[in-house]
Amino acid sequence: MILTKRFMRILTRHTWALCFLILGACTNASDQIRKIPLVNFFEDPQRTAFNISPDGNYISYLHPYHDRLNIFVQSVKGDDVIRLTSAEDRNIAYYFWANNEEILYLQDKNEVENQTLFAVRKDGSKERTLIDFKNTKINLISTGRVTNNEILVALNKRDSTVFDAYRLNIKTGRLVLLVKNPGNITRWVSDANGKLRIAIVSDEVNETVLYRANEQAPFKAIVTNNFITSIYPIGFSEDETCIYALSNQHRDKRALVEFNLKTGKEHREIYGNSQVDVYEGVYSKLKKKMVFATYETWKKQRQYLDNDVKLMYQKLEDQLPNTEIKVTDKDSSESKFIIRTFTDRNPGTYYLYDSVDDKLTKLSDLNTSFKEEEMCKMEAITYKSRDGLSINGYLTLPHVSSGRNLPVVVIPHGGPSARNSWGYNAEVQFLANRGYAVFQINYRGSTGYGKSFWIAGFKQWGGKMQDDITDGVKWLINEGVADPARIAIYGSNFGGYSALHGLCFQSQLYACGASLSGITNLFTYSRSVPPYYKPYQRMMFEMVGNPEIDADYFRAVSPVFHTIKIKVPVLIAQGGKDPRTNVNETNQFVKELKEKNVPVIYIVKDDEGQYFRKQENKLEFYRQLETFLETNLKKR
Amino acid sequence: MKEQKQLYRKNFLLINIFLILITISLIFAVTLAYNLTKKYVENEFSSRKINVLEQTIKPYNDFFKNRIPEITFYQGFLDSASVTKYVHNVLTKFPFVERVVFYDTGISNHTITEGFRVNNFGITPKAVYQFGKNVPQNATVLYKSNGLTNLSLKTADEFNKMAIKFSGYIESLDTTKLLSTEENFNIFYSVTPNRITYMNIPRREDLNIYKDLMSRNQPPSPIYEQDILTFYLNPDKIKIVNTHPDLYESVSIKPLVYENLENNEDHMGTDITLPGAFSESKLYLSSSKSFLKIEIGRRFLPIALALSIIYGVLVFIAYLIYRNLNVNSKMFKLQYDFINNLTHEFKTPVSVIKIAGNNIRSAFQLSERERKHYGKILDEEADKLNDLMNKLLSFTQIENNAITIKYEDVNLEIFCQNIIDSYQIKYPHFQITYEISDIAYYKTDPVLLASIFQNLIDNAYKYSSAEHKVLYIDIYKRKRSVIFQFIDEGIGIAATEMTNIFRKFYRIQNQYNQQGSVGLGLAFCKELVNFMNGTISVKSKVGSGSEFTIELPIEKPVQLNEVESTSQTNKFLTIN
Repeated sequence: MILTKRFMRILTRHTWALCFLILGACTNASDQIRKIPLVNFFEDPQRTAFNISPDGNYISYLHPYHDRLNIFVQSVKGDDVIRLTSAEDRNIAYYFWANNEEILYLQDKNEVENQTLFAVRKDGSKERTLIDFKNTKINLISTGRVTNNEILVALNKRDSTVFDAYRLNIKTGRLVLLVKNPGNITRWVSDANGKLRIAIVSDEVNETVLYRANEQAPFKAIVTNNFITSIYPIGFSEDETCIYALSNQHRDKRALVEFNLKTGKEHREIYGNSQVDVYEGVYSKLKKKMVFATYETWKKQRQYLDNDVKLMYQKLEDQLPNTEIKVTDKDSSESKFIIRTFTDRNPGTYYLYDSVDDKLTKLSDLNTSFKEEEMCKMEAITYKSRDGLSINGYLTLPHVSSGRNLPVVVIPHGGPSARNSWGYNAEVQFLANRGYAVFQINYRGSTGYGKSFWIAGFKQWGGKMQDDITDGVKWLINEGVADPARIAIYGSNFGGYSALHGLCFQSQLYACGASLSGITNLFTYSRSVPPYYKPYQRMMFEMVGNPEIDADYFRAVSPVFHTIKIKVPVLIAQGGKDPRTNVNETNQFVKELKEKNVPVIYIVKDDEGQYFRKQENKLEFYRQLETFLETNLKKR
Repeated sequence: MKEQKQLYRKNFLLINIFLILITISLIFAVTLAYNLTKKYVENEFSSRKINVLEQTIKPYNDFFKNRIPEITFYQGFLDSASVTKYVHNVLTKFPFVERVVFYDTGISNHTITEGFRVNNFGITPKAVYQFGKNVPQNATVLYKSNGLTNLSLKTADEFNKMAIKFSGYIESLDTTKLLSTEENFNIFYSVTPNRITYMNIPRREDLNIYKDLMSRNQPPSPIYEQDILTFYLNPDKIKIVNTHPDLYESVSIKPLVYENLENNEDHMGTDITLPGAFSESKLYLSSSKSFLKIEIGRRFLPIALALSIIYGVLVFIAYLIYRNLNVNSKMFKLQYDFINNLTHEFKTPVSVIKIAGNNIRSAFQLSERERKHYGKILDEEADKLNDLMNKLLSFTQIENNAITIKYEDVNLEIFCQNIIDSYQIKYPHFQITYEISDIAYYKTDPVLLASIFQNLIDNAYKYSSAEHKVLYIDIYKRKRSVIFQFIDEGIGIAATEMTNIFRKFYRIQNQYNQQGSVGLGLAFCKELVNFMNGTISVKSKVGSGSEFTIELPIEKPVQLNEVESTSQTNKFLTIN
């Protein structure tokens, strides 16, 4: 009797502690592996594409209205919010402040992907259509502020294969043909005053820069390069004898240079990096000079060319530590800035920065449905390929893991002329949250690592590019990170091609594979160069191959001809209107897989093109991908 | 007795009826099974052709569904070199493809000399090649658009058909819709007997461009590539896969109109039309009736066998029931006789005692002679009853193994003399002689041995004529056993009865055993001898006597602790 009493007393005394312990354990565990709902990763930011009016008094942004992005305007203080547009069928794709009063915007129109240019006043009045032609694409030539109410646009109205340059008066809506494209001009460049001064001519493989001193003078060729070498004009120098350009002429890594238009020679190198390409040069209209250059090693970095700018960024960095900073817009006086921050674990925030009184005002978070700690760290890695090339990539490990023997999803990026960058990536974080290590590779053929690294990928579809990916996976296995039995390969576009190719030819390496709008057939792919990109066809032949001459190579590396080699489960998602693939072909591909009893999940969205734009389609794809990976990389 | 006989007869009738019924069932089942098998085989004959068709046409389906659409994968980029490779693969893998004509086709809005043009939309063959097993090397190129050769109508036939179809499709194309599978088939395949023409399916964007070419006046367009291939097929080259050689003696490909007009009663034929491009041919499958009969037989055999086995089992069961009934009836009869006899046996002494008792009661005075006489009668009859009861009791005991053997050394001379002496007193006219040789002592249970002696001596007495009752007992040693022979000169035993005499309750029906026999004696003897590990046998000749031979082993089997438990048995057996 006494014993029980004592026991009871001890019990009651400890019950509370016990309760806390259990509770604590529970919350801890759920904290670490909270499965963030799929939709939270891919939801559109509430407010995005912030811009500031030239006078610095108004801020504009895109915000969903009836599920479509529309333009909103507010004062810098944050009041007087007005919705300018009422687009309900398609998102507003792009907009800019033409002047202090008016905003011009482009809207993707209906399914044939025609674009329409509209204008609207900042109070929402006087909305009007400026350009709307059937089967016509609109390329804006002039960027930045509008001078004399005139902008320059390139339209393929006359002939769908070529873009002519037009001058458009936004007040009157008058469209004047400025220069007729003889058929080979691929890019028009205007000067700061809205005069058309430079044209880039592409002659199948060669690229020539044409220049004229004024709009009355004829265009004159000043320099010709192979398409591999490019001189990309950014802006005119103060005396207008030179242009600032990103050039890889006579060098492997692209550099920021000053190029003399008179001599057709490079005047001087402003900044070059020995490791990687310079991918951006920022010009200040106010200072009339280049203020900094950006290059990307494992992450984006700035090389300052102006002390004031350097000081401003340092002040910003003091206020916003441990985060990346990017200026997305500024007013004409260059005192108010729209700033966007981000890290690998945070999609970031928009701020308004007033450099005069060093004041930072938060505008909007891009995604608030999860905490930064819940996201996973993205780490830069490097390994050696079989032929000794250094290949860079990123590895994102899931939170709850020993970091060893993990199920891995390899994601080769699309392109292939592109690269993976360090930063927040919804897809990567989604997969990492589901417990997979995510492996991204900048295989050869990726851009940003110099000319030779890019060229090394030419005609290497299913060849050395694929070898780099294979070597990366093997490296990851050797490092002990990857569980050799649980590796999936997934990608979109070229990545999808690479995934299917991997399933065909490195079938022992992958447990399953998924392709989103993957290229299954190089023959079809090479037909997809649209007629208005005709000058690029030869380039395509160089980079991918010529379907007639390289027919054997195309046949050997196109997954569609090798269905029989696929043994593991496949997920294929495809837009019915993707010009680079033929739905009939993919149907045939899937049919043959099914005949061989290979488990296939096939998603076709008839209303989608190369990318899944509609949110519901995007979510459905990721939902399918989630179950597909869950089934085939089952946790042991 | 009559009722009994009737009862048995009824049972046999039942068995007979049963046998007849199952025989009828067997015959019925066999005929039915045969007819069903025949029907089944005939049905199979007409239905299994689908399997043959399926297997035979499999390569064609593979060709049609997988290899032809592969042309689309080339997206119009096929040229003479790549098409040669493709066609070579097709020709080697699919023997029924005889010839392939390749139209390297261009689509543009240019004016064209050959080909087909609607509005601004022109389809023209740039070159035409043919390939095939029998196409000579120099005849590969049929046409080239360099103006040197003319495109013959015959060569252009398939091209034109496809071009017209495709132009019509482009004209009515709804650019917002996706191509459905049926449309794919209807437009890009042209299937005519023994010929398939296929054009690669263009991408959506290409279709839109073609539509534009047709409907709008535009500056000269580039030439868009399309590939048209015509496959000439030969149905005779299809490899026939006879998946049912047991059903079909011969399978062949015949023209659709083929009929077998032979007046052959023995011939059976069926056909099935080939699908797709072979629709003018059919698969003709035939067998002779005798061939099918073999197949029917082959399939019927196991059924017949199973039926026979079932029948055999049933007959065997019937036989077992019959045998059981038989044994039972015999047993029944024996027991009935036994009770009859036993009653009779008991009745005689009882009635004698009763008469004697009556006589004694009714006599005023009994003379000395009378008293002795009745006394003797009563004594004798009581002995008889006692004897009867003993026999019954000991028999039951021995049958149930309730007694054990109590061994002791027996002086055979004294033993025999004692028994004979007692018989001499009982039956003074009974001449019993004996002879013992080679053995003086024998280790055995004297009580059991005496019982055997008594029974056999009784038997000899019983079955001898009243005038001539003689028994000779011969005892001698042979090897490891002792032989006791009882040789009488009685009536003997018929050879037919030989096996029965040792059975319980069995008695030979004759005048000698009308009284005082229950048919237990010899059965009892046999039980005893067997119990003592010996054997008993009989030799006999009707009219001249019988000879019973008992052979008992000399060695005493090791059986301990028997001495104590035998007293009860002894009492019973020594009474006699």
